[in-house]
Amino acid sequence: MVHKRFFCSKIFPNAADHHFRLRHHQNKWLIKQVTKSNFSEALGEIRTHVSNSDFIAVSLQQTGAYSAPWQRVLPIDTAETAYLKAKRAAERFQVLQFAVCPFSVKASKLIAHPYNFHLFPRDELKIAMPSYSFSCQLSYLTTMAREGFDFNACIYDGISYLSRAQELAAADRIGHSSPISYGVPSSSANSVADSVFTERTKSRVRHWVNACKDSNKKTEDALISTLRKLVSGSELYGSRPCLIINVCSERQVQLVLEMLKEFVDVVPIVVPARGGEVQAIRVVLTSSEEDKNLLEKELQDMEEEHNKRVRGFREVIDLISTSQKPVVAHNSLNDFTFIYSKFLAPLPSTMDEFRSSLLLVFPHILDVDHLMKAIGPFEKVNNLPASISYLRRKFFAPIDMEVSHRAEADNVQIHGRNVLRISELFAKLCSVLKINPETFEDDYSRLSYALQCHANTLNPSLTSSEDPIDEDVRIWNKNSRRISIDNLVLLWGLEIGISAAKLKALLHGSHEVFSKEFDVQMVDKNCAVIVFWTPGFSDRFLKIMDSGEIFCESLKDMISEGSAAASYKTYRSVCKLGLWEADLADALDKALEKSKRLTEAKSEEDLSVIDWNNDKMINLDDL
Amino acid sequence: MKKYFLVRAMTEAQARNRNQLFPFNRSLCSSSNSSDLALKNVTKSNFEPALAELRIHVREADFVSFDLEMTGVTSAPWRESFEFDRADVQYLKVKDSAEKFVVVQFGVCPFRWDSKNRSFIAHPHNFYVFPRQEIPGDGPSYEFSCQTTSLDFLAKYRFDFNACIYEGISYLSRSQEEEALRRLNSVCNDESSESLSSSKSVADTQLVRMADILFAERMVNKIGEWRAGLLRDTNEGSEFQGSSNDTVQKLQTTFFKMRPALVLNALTSRQLRLIELVIKKHFEDLVYVHATGEISCPQPLVVYTDSTTDRDLLMREIKHCHKKEAVTKIKAAVGFRHVIDLLSTERKLIVGHNCFLDIAHIYDKFVGPLPLTVEEYVSEVQKHFPYIVDTKVMLNSDSSFLHLVKKGSTSLSKAFTLLCPQIASPSVSSIVLADNPHIKVEVQVGDKRFSNWNSGAKHEAGYDAFMTGCVFAQACTRLGIDFNLHAPPVDLVHNEKLQKYINHLYLSWINGDVIDLRTGKCATDSLGSTNLKNRYPKILFSNIVILWDLPSKLKAREIKECMSKVFGSDSVTSVFHLDETAAFVQFSRQEFVSCFLELKDTLEQKYDPISVLHPLSKILEGGRTRAASYELYKEICSSPISEVLFSNQAEAVGIEWRTRLLEPVVEVEKQEDKASTFSQDQDRKETSPINNAAGTLSCCHFPTDELVDSFYPVQAQLSK
Repeated sequence: MVHKRFFCSKIFPNAADHHFRLRHHQNKWLIKQVTKSNFSEALGEIRTHVSNSDFIAVSLQQTGAYSAPWQRVLPIDTAETAYLKAKRAAERFQVLQFAVCPFSVKASKLIAHPYNFHLFPRDELKIAMPSYSFSCQLSYLTTMAREGFDFNACIYDGISYLSRAQELAAADRIGHSSPISYGVPSSSANSVADSVFTERTKSRVRHWVNACKDSNKKTEDALISTLRKLVSGSELYGSRPCLIINVCSERQVQLVLEMLKEFVDVVPIVVPARGGEVQAIRVVLTSSEEDKNLLEKELQDMEEEHNKRVRGFREVIDLISTSQKPVVAHNSLNDFTFIYSKFLAPLPSTMDEFRSSLLLVFPHILDVDHLMKAIGPFEKVNNLPASISYLRRKFFAPIDMEVSHRAEADNVQIHGRNVLRISELFAKLCSVLKINPETFEDDYSRLSYALQCHANTLNPSLTSSEDPIDEDVRIWNKNSRRISIDNLVLLWGLEIGISAAKLKALLHGSHEVFSKEFDVQMVDKNCAVIVFWTPGFSDRFLKIMDSGEIFCESLKDMISEGSAAASYKTYRSVCKLGLWEADLADALDKALEKSKRLTEAKSEEDLSVIDWNNDKMINLDDL
Repeated sequence: MKKYFLVRAMTEAQARNRNQLFPFNRSLCSSSNSSDLALKNVTKSNFEPALAELRIHVREADFVSFDLEMTGVTSAPWRESFEFDRADVQYLKVKDSAEKFVVVQFGVCPFRWDSKNRSFIAHPHNFYVFPRQEIPGDGPSYEFSCQTTSLDFLAKYRFDFNACIYEGISYLSRSQEEEALRRLNSVCNDESSESLSSSKSVADTQLVRMADILFAERMVNKIGEWRAGLLRDTNEGSEFQGSSNDTVQKLQTTFFKMRPALVLNALTSRQLRLIELVIKKHFEDLVYVHATGEISCPQPLVVYTDSTTDRDLLMREIKHCHKKEAVTKIKAAVGFRHVIDLLSTERKLIVGHNCFLDIAHIYDKFVGPLPLTVEEYVSEVQKHFPYIVDTKVMLNSDSSFLHLVKKGSTSLSKAFTLLCPQIASPSVSSIVLADNPHIKVEVQVGDKRFSNWNSGAKHEAGYDAFMTGCVFAQACTRLGIDFNLHAPPVDLVHNEKLQKYINHLYLSWINGDVIDLRTGKCATDSLGSTNLKNRYPKILFSNIVILWDLPSKLKAREIKECMSKVFGSDSVTSVFHLDETAAFVQFSRQEFVSCFLELKDTLEQKYDPISVLHPLSKILEGGRTRAASYELYKEICSSPISEVLFSNQAEAVGIEWRTRLLEPVVEVEKQEDKASTFSQDQDRKETSPINNAAGTLSCCHFPTDELVDSFYPVQAQLSK
């Protein structure tokens, strides 16, 4: 396995350079890289670190985020459409690296334990799970390559996983024996048949136990003992004698387990059949209390081993979830849709459902982006290094970092370093916002105001419904103000590659509705969004487009060349219906066609405000 | 790639030994220490020389074999190849596969007959290919799919993903190249109409800051001085040089396109913008020229021109240069397609093993988007590759070979070991096929020549291509082609004995459907290539309904029982589970299809006790079950979406109804006609309604039980 890296380090001086530069000022930042070969060991370590730390930072490296430029989360997206876009990405792409960093902040000192897990959805159990296929966005792979990512290590040696839902669905195919804790029989009223069955098995077990204990005392003829075993159905489980009791219903399983409680030195093991049902119960006889404990411990280890094999990396997710510690992320909507869909269950169809079921698993999610907004809503800092340097420039918040793994001279690993940046940024932000992260853990109800605002609001560049901000108030800088989505109109079928300025010039003064203030932004190569700052003008414009009453040549030309317009509702239904065409124009056309067919015209009165921010629009030159 | 789950017979022990000795023979850097196992690996860095070399080899070759490794084969389980696939559906599945996945390795192996040595000389090449975005705009692909099992399979054979992603050769298809050139032209024309200035942002720059104004002023003076000096210079001699060299070190005089020019060094972009602005404003005969990082003009310059016409001339020249550079860049981005173009222009015999999907990939990646129908597709393919031979077709019509494999698989490596034992394992003296002379194949890698070359790297495209070529050469001798009789070059393309194999490819191996690329017509392999085939009753597509969103865990047998209760005990010929959510039901008569659909529709519309007690209620339980005729399956296959489960797919495609009744008979007939163009063979003609009306009940006595549970025949259909 060692040799595989050889190739990439030999031919990519850039990557090596990069390593070198990082080593220079981050020589103490060592992130432990975990693959299949050292997973068990790392799992043990991280378990301790999670329980000893106050927070857990996570950061994901995916194979992609969107299949077409308009499919990324845009400023024109509401919470709902942003979720639908994130959902689409999570279902389509794959997580190849998952960095986890349990950390604590003690008096301006950050104690971090960063791990970077390499994942690959290998079908380890031959059950066509966890993933049949996945997509790769070329630019993401290129970026990973630039960072010197070792694709061989990932695909050869990445850790696989099963989501909770997948594990349930495959339970019958995975099949293993374990001391499943069956509850007490629900109906205590035993029928006659039940009691006959119970009595019969009880006497059988008793005879067998006695026989076993007898045979220990006196030596027996080999033939006789073999015969005895045949008759009693006795076998050996490891070095211990055991008895198989066949059952034919769940009810009988419960009865047997209940009955076996009377015997102090036996341990029951349930043997599943194909199809997830129980086929038999294996009763193992132990020689003493001590021996019984030993066996139970053995079984527990087996169970854990089995779980590790089946769940793979999900053990780490379960670990984080059961710890109930606050999880700190950056770009949390994206990361948590991925986590949910890969490790929990298929994503629900609405944002609200997603939010509520996610919070059951991770009750405290903190997004550093949101915290950033609390201190500097005017600055557009959207990536981690920029945020950190912004804080460094504007505030005095020295944070000492202590990383548990020490770097060996030549072995500096940069993969997954974002998780350390998140931890650092969080610590700095806490210090700037005067939040004491040490007492944070003690009482969530006494959270400081700033955190309360920002905990559990799944970010992206959008604001969720409960934000108490009025429409049409200029609260942010000149480019960013809130606007009701009623005032947005999508215009498509434009000349390919037209610039927003050109389009605006074309529209300006072409009609009364364009005489007042309006804005134009490109969403796609031939689709634009028009913002009417005067309420009601959007409807008027749509009516004009519909009626064909044209006042101006330029508009007429556009329409005759195939331009069309629709309200924001159409855009929303594009996302809802999952019309993920490469061109937004095609998707909008399809959505219009559909809505014409569907007679149901339920007008939805939900969250209809977005943040209008020119800066965040796609710059088509970047694509 | 299509042979994944196959156990390769290829002298396993030997292969294992070799792997122990050279556990990393697949990585590029280690190839040097095992020269006898070397395979010519080609990446970005050595592509140019390798291509030049390959050109010569291909030109001289008698045939060229090839093989591809892809990131996947099927994008969803229900898109795998089934017996219930009509020819048009099979093509749609291949099309989907070629569109979704990418080629990561491309093996090309030219073979030349050396009459002196009485042996073939092979030049195996192994190209790492990756769709990198080399030029702005739409690259070869925005995203692509990976099938997890395929990647895992490649990993098992130690495929070097790093070499592929870091160092793979990129490419542009013909249509992508044309598109890029077209866009370039339109941009160039645009610029000429708008302004002469190279940068559009100049107009936006305004002198706002005091420093800007001062700087601009100073520059006006300096440049004015230089210009004045220049004009004087022509009359009186150099004065400017001496006087201002020390004061304006940033400004140097040079010549650009035979005109005096001022080099602007060490200035910020803002300063350059200001200079551009003042030049436009104050100097009619000076031109600011700047194009970053290009050969024609690496630095920003101020160029002096004699007159307006001279200035226009200069601008035109510069634009011409820019365009030429951009064109060169696009041409360079063509990359690996040069190899394909080479094969296409040389019109050589192309040899692949079960290569219909491979050809589709070649078309999609290097020619253009795949056409919608198989007829259009094959005629397009013929334009580029007039002679293609599928060794799998050849082997399957060779009865003595089939006898040899004893109905086993005709996978590539198995055929290779059996037919070319002298190459596959030279140490083992083979007794099989003693009657047949073995073709000698020598391998040339670089300057070295090997008479027993065996890189042992199975599923390395270059090695697989080599094996394919060897198998082909041997198969030719088995047909009675004697290479010794021919003076080189051997004219295989027009060889009579080979004619019935040229351009006959397996459209789908599992159905034994062989497509003739010249006509687009499909015929079932006469020799009954697969024993699987015989197990299944004849498939009449017009007798099929597709059911999905079925109540969970409903077994095929139960479906059959329900149907039989309604339509009679012989009514159901077979039931086939597409996946856990969908099933095909083939009726013994065509009219049962419309009967069933109508009955289902009626039962669902009035939900009364009678419909609850109806025998079909078991199938309709839950009220979600949907049904339609076979045509729907085609419709769904043509969608670009790929959900894992069929019922989710149908939902994603946007199906809202529960039952789609058949259209009036006339319509049906039309569809039949269309469908039957694929299947000219008499068997399928029986599906026409007229024949059915006559009551051909001969097909309902097939044993159905054994197909009932034939879930996912993955392994069979993936085998090459």
